[in-house]
Amino acid sequence: MLTIDGISRRFGAKTAVSDVSLEIAGGSFVGIIGRSGAGKSTLLRMINRLQEPSSGRILFEGRDVTALSGAGLRDWRQSCAMIFQQFNLIGRLDVLTNVLMGRLNHVGQARALLKMWTDEDKAVALSALEQFDIAQLAAQRAESLSGGQQQRVAIARALVQEPRLILADEPIASLDPRNTKVVMDALQRINRHFGITVICNLHSLDLAKAYCDRLVGMAQGRVVFDGAPEALTDAAARELYGIEAGDVIDSHTPLPAPAAAYAEALLASA
Amino acid sequence: MSAGAMHPIRAQALADRVALEARHPDIFRPSPWARARALLVVGGLAALLVYGLWVLEFSPLKMIVGLGRLGEFMVHMIPPSTGTWAKFWIYLHALAETVAIAFLGVFTAAAIALPLGFLAAKNVVPNAVIHFLSRRMLDTVRGVDELIWALIWVSVVGLGPFAGVLALVCANVGAFGKLFSEAIEAADRKAVEGVASTGGAKLHAVRFGLLPQVLPVMAAQVLYYFESNTRSATIIGIVGAGGIGLHLAEQIRVLEYQHVSALILMILVTVALIDMVSTRLRFALIGDRGAR
Repeated sequence: MLTIDGISRRFGAKTAVSDVSLEIAGGSFVGIIGRSGAGKSTLLRMINRLQEPSSGRILFEGRDVTALSGAGLRDWRQSCAMIFQQFNLIGRLDVLTNVLMGRLNHVGQARALLKMWTDEDKAVALSALEQFDIAQLAAQRAESLSGGQQQRVAIARALVQEPRLILADEPIASLDPRNTKVVMDALQRINRHFGITVICNLHSLDLAKAYCDRLVGMAQGRVVFDGAPEALTDAAARELYGIEAGDVIDSHTPLPAPAAAYAEALLASA
Repeated sequence: MSAGAMHPIRAQALADRVALEARHPDIFRPSPWARARALLVVGGLAALLVYGLWVLEFSPLKMIVGLGRLGEFMVHMIPPSTGTWAKFWIYLHALAETVAIAFLGVFTAAAIALPLGFLAAKNVVPNAVIHFLSRRMLDTVRGVDELIWALIWVSVVGLGPFAGVLALVCANVGAFGKLFSEAIEAADRKAVEGVASTGGAKLHAVRFGLLPQVLPVMAAQVLYYFESNTRSATIIGIVGAGGIGLHLAEQIRVLEYQHVSALILMILVTVALIDMVSTRLRFALIGDRGAR
């Protein structure tokens, strides 16, 4: 159980996240939706502590993770794996080493720095790569891969961290429709097969409705909707997306964001 | 999923371990060559180092004895003093001359090297002959040290700061040409493609696609060279190319160690000041990179 307790983040005079409180049950697939700049990324990054909250607390199973530092903080980060929009891989290193980055907090410092991975670590990394059908790319440089392949490498890295929680920050915003489906299916499989909680930021309402079992809508840093996908009414969506909300709900007209094109094509190809 | 039990990811991998190792033999049993090669390289370098020390008669004993003498020098240097205020003003004037030599040397060289850098960059001038010629020319200019250039120019235009400026220009053109062309070659192609796609000419692509990207990098290099050349200008002053170096060499020769330490302090303060200013400038340049 992840408890977000009145968390806020200000950048100068601007408030990115304003007094957000949420309870997220273990094993759920939560979609955070809203326009660009609604505070979705900041919220996710605060959970992993890539960004420090200005006020408020985050608790995981009763433990305050906002107070952690040093080894405690590294342990927490290992247990809540991040997936980024731009993949954040090390382009010049091979795929296997990129995935083994997920083992850093499991391996001794000297061993890791000398790249003396154990066979067990390699087995875990390869097993994760095989699940996403990219084990044959293990020796290639990450930067030589396509966007969809890179994001699958990033998911494999997240998985070998042995996380309790996966935080995906717009994981499909740089991908084409086919890869969008591949990546979202991968997240869904992780959630269902391993029971890992997934919290996923999404632009596209259609995708969010298709994959998530709970939606959290954010606007101007605040939570303006929280409930099952079916409960998201026209009125709630209008508040989320502003005046164009009528278009958002109607799946025949495109969303203002490029994500709409992806979702449309996805629906067409599915 | 409870905290204590084995994570399902690892459980799954371990259950499948034997089959995994069979499917990916190169990863689990990498050829011993890769590691042996790394060890050989490190071992070879270490052997070369020891051999070098032996050939050049490196002697710890000499160093320890010498350290005592260094201490004696230090004692003579304290307190730093220029004797009279008149002397101090003379030194300050010479220091200003040194800074001026460095300033003119670096910025003139940068102006000359800018077109050369573009000429020597493969992604701007794809012609192999021009690329080869400009690269070799820059190599040749760079191959001669600034001290040698100073000696040459002193004998050509006579003693004084003019020879110093010419020496620094020659040495810096070679260095800047190489650094600039490498910065240009490392630039992102996407912006160039964007300009070309609008029907812009090659020169437009260079001006708007490349220049804004590489200008902050070049500026940082030029600023660093200004600081480093202030130190170099001191050295070339010793061979008569103007500036504070002449006074430094003179005071060392007449064993006026208090003057020497005062001069060194003045140079240190100047270099530190230049470093502070150039750091500010560099951040200002990087900061408005997006706005340009």
